[in-house]
Amino acid sequence: MATYEVFLKKDGRDEYRHVGALEAATDELAIVLARESYARRAEGDRLWIVRREHIIDPGDEFVLPNADKPHRHHDGAAVAARRKAARAAQT
Amino acid sequence: MRLTAGTRSYLLAFADDEHLMGQQHTEWIGVAPFLEEDLAFSSIGQDELGHAAMLYEVILDADGVSPSDTAIDALAYRRSAADYRSCRLVEYRNGDWATALVRHWVYDTVEQARWGLLENSTMSGLAGLAAHATREESFHRLHANTLLDVLLQDGEARERILSALHRLETQISGLIAPIPGENEAVSAGVAKERLCDFAPELEAAIGTRFGVCIRLDAGEADAEFRLARSEDFGPLMARMREVLDFDPAATW
Repeated sequence: MATYEVFLKKDGRDEYRHVGALEAATDELAIVLARESYARRAEGDRLWIVRREHIIDPGDEFVLPNADKPHRHHDGAAVAARRKAARAAQT
Repeated sequence: MRLTAGTRSYLLAFADDEHLMGQQHTEWIGVAPFLEEDLAFSSIGQDELGHAAMLYEVILDADGVSPSDTAIDALAYRRSAADYRSCRLVEYRNGDWATALVRHWVYDTVEQARWGLLENSTMSGLAGLAAHATREESFHRLHANTLLDVLLQDGEARERILSALHRLETQISGLIAPIPGENEAVSAGVAKERLCDFAPELEAAIGTRFGVCIRLDAGEADAEFRLARSEDFGPLMARMREVLDFDPAATW
């Protein structure tokens, strides 16, 4: 048995979204079971399944260091304050 | 279009088969061999229940009865046992997964042929219903075939599946045997031809699918077959009525 990750897409410009996982003996059986387990109420109109072993996962340490870079986040407050000051100076 | 007694009995046989088959498939929820199969089998069962409801509706319509939920329920659940026209295959007790799987494959193979006989029906609503159901049935057969593709390669599973097939021989013969009223349905143009003419094709399909030869003998399983209920019908109907019977006056 292999584990598969299931993705569905609704019509229009929505992207594929992960909806769950399942186990199946073959790829063919996996698409049949995915259809009945996740799309029987027409939750999406396109279906992708991916064998979990085919997902490339570099591990959490690979991206975690990026969580410590507050300078990459700004709320625009400093720029807004300067623009406000500039407008006030013009009038 | 008013139905003759024969045509009505013919359509009722199909509706009752769909109803009981759907019920039996859905009873695998929670107890199928694996979770995904719980959902798949029950979902397929719900499709069959949908077909049953639509067939009952067509019959009620022809009877001149407004097909309300209450009227459909009365027809589906409240007849006396002798008035059902189900075959023994759909009444046969649940419990063994191999038997359920073989029955699923056989029933849906025959169901495809049954809808095919109605696709140009002269009866209003039936042709459209046949087209709708045929689309769903291709997935039911895909499900059965894909599972069997895997399981028939395994020694023990293959053995269990083949013994289930042999256990069901009489019941399978009964499914494909002449249906009470069938000739009337054919001459009225409601059905294209008799379902029992499909028996050689079913034998061949079973041979190809399971690699064994079974002889479908409609001798014992003649039209009388659907006029009496098998011993498994009573307990099945009791389970089906269980919730309805809590409060017979309730409106659902």
